Amino acid sequence: MRRAGSPRVEGYAALTALGLVAALALHRPELSVLAVPFALALVLGVRTARDPNVDFAFTLSTDRTVEDSEVEAVLTVSSQRDVDRLEYKVALPSGIELVEGSDARALRLRSGEERSLPLRLRCRRWGVHPLGAVDLRARDRLRLVVWEQRFPGGQRLKAYPHSETVRRILQPRETRVFTGSDVARARAEGIEYADMRAYTPGDRLRSINWRASARRNELVVNERHPERNTDVVLFIDSFGDVRGETRSTLDDTVRAAATLATRYLERRDRVGLVGFGGVLRWLQPGMGRPQWFRIVETLLETWVEPTYVWRKVSVIPDRILPPKALIIALTPLLDSRFVAAVTDLRARGYDLVVVEIVPTGQVEPGPGRADQLAHRLWLLERDVLRADLERADVSVARWGEDVALAAALEEVRTYRRHARLGRV
Amino acid sequence: MRSLGLRGAAVAILILVVSLVRGWPRLLPVSLCVLGAIYATHLRVDHVTLDLRAPAFAAGLFVTAELGYWSIEEREHFQGEPGDGLRHLAVVALLAAAGLLAGAAVLALADVASARGVALDVVGAAAAAAALLTVALVGRR
Repeated sequence: MRRAGSPRVEGYAALTALGLVAALALHRPELSVLAVPFALALVLGVRTARDPNVDFAFTLSTDRTVEDSEVEAVLTVSSQRDVDRLEYKVALPSGIELVEGSDARALRLRSGEERSLPLRLRCRRWGVHPLGAVDLRARDRLRLVVWEQRFPGGQRLKAYPHSETVRRILQPRETRVFTGSDVARARAEGIEYADMRAYTPGDRLRSINWRASARRNELVVNERHPERNTDVVLFIDSFGDVRGETRSTLDDTVRAAATLATRYLERRDRVGLVGFGGVLRWLQPGMGRPQWFRIVETLLETWVEPTYVWRKVSVIPDRILPPKALIIALTPLLDSRFVAAVTDLRARGYDLVVVEIVPTGQVEPGPGRADQLAHRLWLLERDVLRADLERADVSVARWGEDVALAAALEEVRTYRRHARLGRV
Repeated sequence: MRSLGLRGAAVAILILVVSLVRGWPRLLPVSLCVLGAIYATHLRVDHVTLDLRAPAFAAGLFVTAELGYWSIEEREHFQGEPGDGLRHLAVVALLAAAGLLAGAAVLALADVASARGVALDVVGAAAAAAALLTVALVGRR
């Protein structure tokens, strides 16, 4: 630990020196007497102070948790010598808050004593939070000498985004050839009834509809929709973030992406990820629990990297955006580069849905008339942009403070059920 | 002299208050210096032979300084343990008492030394210089 003098040392040394000099200069012994308590404290304090050799450890009950849940942590301090006052301050990152315990305490430790101090922490925001950085300061009995040390910590707590409640998710227009949970539009072996047709040689006997055949005096077979899986690519806008007191568009984007990834992977669909912003990140579509972990871990590294570079969809490798994939774009619709990319993807024939993370709740108009006019114009421009996207056969779901994600997706489901299958 | 002392004391208190409110520990000794200067002026102007209240005044200055520094330290809001404050108060009281006794001893020595002539004056000055040097050396550690 680094030894240093407290402000008392400077002050008492100065007062002692002044008292003695004044006594000599003015020939008044009383002035040297004024310096005596300060000199005494200084000599006693500095001579008796010894490095306490404090050991410190910070342990977490887990290194992974879910947003808004609580985690136990234990601070363990021990000292080889008596410490009259040991102060510690735990540096908590912005996404972590203290629920129980104290992050700034002063203790007294006996020689060889070990003390465990439990803390209960809550992760307010998803992300990778560095933890365990603690500032320690030990003081001697006379508080003249301090020993300071900063333990950098080095532990990381991963807080996964919590899931939004979504009962039904968007069904893609086209499916792949592998078995899954989506009822395909194609006709083949399956469970869902599709239609009837005349028997042709090679049809299985069990598919003959005997009642219909009896009515028509010819053999008629049932046709069915097979259950297939699909490719879903979550296309995330990380060009910007609108952060209010309680919400942030980027936080909500990541939460929605994690929720959708969970739901699609549960249905044995292949899910991929593209983070489109200052930093381009992608994850090839895949299935199963390992893919869920890959997606969530990639989402945790999502942040806004400011850039003026104009990015195009062409920078995304082809294998990341398989044909027939359902692309769900999660965006606050604020950056024209992302809007251009969405339009470009639609022009390439991808089945595209935009989930708009509505930022208007986080943006308050200014007090002046011009400010309010500008705010209204901005809202109108957003309406126009939304209408343009819908004209290009892109469904737009609006998710904001007053609309749940499930309700927004249900609205798009309804829209897609009645809309024609457009090709641009 | 009385009005001068009162004005000086007011200035010292003002400096002390500023130091405590702003949390500037370096300003705290300045207020004590002002009080010491008032005391020195009083000794010089009123031609006091040997002020026996000096050790008490020194102890009072020391307690003021300790409480002031303690107050500034507590601005950091560390949650202490029960009895922490009382323990430190006892340490301050003990130091003040020790300072009072040591100051009285120094005053008695000074009284004896002034009665024995110039040679002992020189010894006293050398002792003061040695004390000053010791303090400087200890302060550098």
